Amino acid sequence: MSVKIEASHDGIPHNTILGIGFVGSLVCIYLTYLNVITGLDLFSFFGGLGAVFALVWGTSTIKKLCSYGIGTGVPSAGMIALGSGVIAMLLATKFGIATPIAAVIIAAIAGLVIGFLANNVLNMNIPVMVQSLAELAVIGALIILGFATMTTGDFTLASLSSGTITIFGFAMNSYTTSYLGGGVIAVAFMLGAIAIQHPFNAALGPSNTQDRTLMLAAECGFLSMIMIAVISFAFISVGSALFGLLIAIIGWVYTYVQFIELSKRDAAGWLDAKMIVETEA
Amino acid sequence: MPKSALGIAIVLLLVFIGIGYYLVMNGMIGMLGFEALIGIIIGGVLIAFGVHFVPVGGAPAAMGQAPGIATGVAMLAAGAGLAGVFGGAWAAPLGLWVALGAGAVGGGLLMAITCMMVNVTYVFAMGIPAASGKVDKDPITGDSQPEYKSQGTEGHGLPFISYVGGVIGGILGGLGGTLIYMQLLAVYTDMLPALMNASADQIMPIAISMAGIFAIGMFLVNAVLTAYNITGTIEGPHDPKFKRAPRAVVASAVASALCGLMAILIVVPL
Amino acid sequence: MENIVLGIGVAALAGALATVAGAAEDTESDIGSQGDPNSQVQLAPQMGYMHRIFNKAIAGEPPAWGLWITIGAGVAWAFMVMNINPVLAIILGSVLASFIQGVYSTTAYLGRTASLAKFGQPVYIDILKSVTSVTVAHAFVGIFATVTACYLMNAVLGHPFPLPILGIVWGIALGAAGSATGNPFYGKERQYQNQKFGAGVPISASGNIVRYAEAGERSSLDNGWFTSKMGGPASGLCFGLIVFFELWRTVIFEPINHGWGAVIIGVVLILIFMALDRWIEVWARKTYGPYTKAEVQEEAA
Repeated sequence: MSVKIEASHDGIPHNTILGIGFVGSLVCIYLTYLNVITGLDLFSFFGGLGAVFALVWGTSTIKKLCSYGIGTGVPSAGMIALGSGVIAMLLATKFGIATPIAAVIIAAIAGLVIGFLANNVLNMNIPVMVQSLAELAVIGALIILGFATMTTGDFTLASLSSGTITIFGFAMNSYTTSYLGGGVIAVAFMLGAIAIQHPFNAALGPSNTQDRTLMLAAECGFLSMIMIAVISFAFISVGSALFGLLIAIIGWVYTYVQFIELSKRDAAGWLDAKMIVETEA
Repeated sequence: MPKSALGIAIVLLLVFIGIGYYLVMNGMIGMLGFEALIGIIIGGVLIAFGVHFVPVGGAPAAMGQAPGIATGVAMLAAGAGLAGVFGGAWAAPLGLWVALGAGAVGGGLLMAITCMMVNVTYVFAMGIPAASGKVDKDPITGDSQPEYKSQGTEGHGLPFISYVGGVIGGILGGLGGTLIYMQLLAVYTDMLPALMNASADQIMPIAISMAGIFAIGMFLVNAVLTAYNITGTIEGPHDPKFKRAPRAVVASAVASALCGLMAILIVVPL
Repeated sequence: MENIVLGIGVAALAGALATVAGAAEDTESDIGSQGDPNSQVQLAPQMGYMHRIFNKAIAGEPPAWGLWITIGAGVAWAFMVMNINPVLAIILGSVLASFIQGVYSTTAYLGRTASLAKFGQPVYIDILKSVTSVTVAHAFVGIFATVTACYLMNAVLGHPFPLPILGIVWGIALGAAGSATGNPFYGKERQYQNQKFGAGVPISASGNIVRYAEAGERSSLDNGWFTSKMGGPASGLCFGLIVFFELWRTVIFEPINHGWGAVIIGVVLILIFMALDRWIEVWARKTYGPYTKAEVQEEAA
């Protein structure tokens, strides 16, 4: 007894969303490089916006993949995306300024191999499996890269593994309080894993509409951004972190209100403290 | 599985191992790195094989319609395996074999307690005895199953074979996850000091965290691939679906080889 | 010696916190209706049964709770790096994680119910308002207890993993343990209360969940006291035992035999639980008896 998953009629084709998400995410993550050029860390929030772009793209990919009925639930697609993405992303941080591009390429390779394994060796035989898993791995890598950049201000291995600790007023370098040393990447990992599958999973059903799903994807992205902004207080200057938090909150409030409006539009009824509406069974 | 796919998979596996070997020959990583790659492949295979033992019933189990635990395959296995990695990481300073033992026992203990409590719920709270839907007699205890199955269902609860399967799955999952973690930890503590110009003690937090997050990521990839192989629910080692295990083993070996290679390449000065 | 006594004390405290967390986890996921039993809440309108149950479809319990605990642990870690008192840091982390959980709950309910519009299932705003606050409260209890247990493991017992990674590990384990133990109780005993006790739900009855109950129309809030009768404490016991035995056997027995003592004790514990489980299974077969007569085997008479 499982929920029948039906692909709804899409207004915007998947490839368009792919293009917008991919380009938007890369551009936003590269915009954080302004931090290095200007010497401030004010532009860290672009990393979070990059992750939001990637999440919207990911929602469309998961929808396409799961509409074929993969047999297990939707959440596992998110897990495999982030699992392969985090490994690819950490390897890519070695490449300095080419990190985002390297992340895309390495994650794509990983996704293609895993997709091939799932489709041909495990005999799942879903037409879009290989491409979808490749996309998901890239999306996973971009999400974590975006959130890591938003937290620390930079996307190289050196900055991710350096942190400062203040003892008696003296700031010292410490690896324990760095982004990697503290394991904070785990937060970005889980935020991405749930956020990437939630829009499709939560909007599952025959009356699914694409604009509502994508709005939910943006909402999940901004919500995750709020958490990352709070954590970034430990890494970047207070002003920049506040700025990032403000942008995240504004984005979240807007998308959340919009999502409620769209739900009101789509729902069969919008009742307050009313009885069960019995249909003529 | 189709022969051509199997062939390509084996070729990929050899390619990845070959790249690792090439790096060793060129002095870019020590023999330790190559051993770690092999260890990671073995760890991934153990995880994939172990997950097939875990009895998962999915949504029907939550209504007493199917035997098994009423959770998803990948995440239940992840819970057991990660608890195993927790135990293994704690015992890491005491040596590889102790850590592996601690990891295996950690995963097995979580499954043992959880499976027992599942049966407590079914028996004492719902008044339903355990029964399997796939076999007539429990392979271990010889208990007959069909007459203990309520009408209109496929079985319910955790018959003893499923319980043992769950514990074995937890043991193998914890073992595999800890193996991956220990191998990566060894490589990182060996190579990070030179890479970051710091002492081994100082970079320890980074090595532990990176090894930990990689172990978690690889665990999830292997568990999800296995979940795809099982397609949802499995009663345990006596389930006919268990025979599908070999193709998951091959898939997991290749996936672990690739991910392990990527994890090791981080500390290779390119 | 004093170290071991402190270790045992902290292990017991962590075990107690884990028990509370497990109970809160199961209560929260039953009030919100999450995880595998939720598939019935989703199915019911499609079979023509409208209801006023909260449809909280946020992945399954293990990944969802993995997320809340990781957020709580990560934010707490960040605050501690900023030299904020650990207790305050954990509380703030738990509050923020609960907020995220609340938002995800509302979007899940709105999303799923709006997508069932074809079958005529309406969105009930009062359910959204009344149930969300309750599940957030239970989630806070669970998150706070688990993050504190993780903090104790890292800070006092000296586990090498940093707080956020401990958060992922124990969050997923909490979700798995609580979901495994509590789901059948909620799914069969509560959702299908009108089916015969002592047997599984026949496949023909799928979707026909209880919608009118004790006092008028059933609301998810009523699941709270129901879960606290058995599902909650059982899940708490499960997770508490897991955490306690994991810590206890390491703290006491690891110094013996270079760590092999802890492994051996672990194996002994597994065998003890296996024996207990076998006893439970045999007890059920003897006490409840079969549903039908056993098939008469072909015997040479």
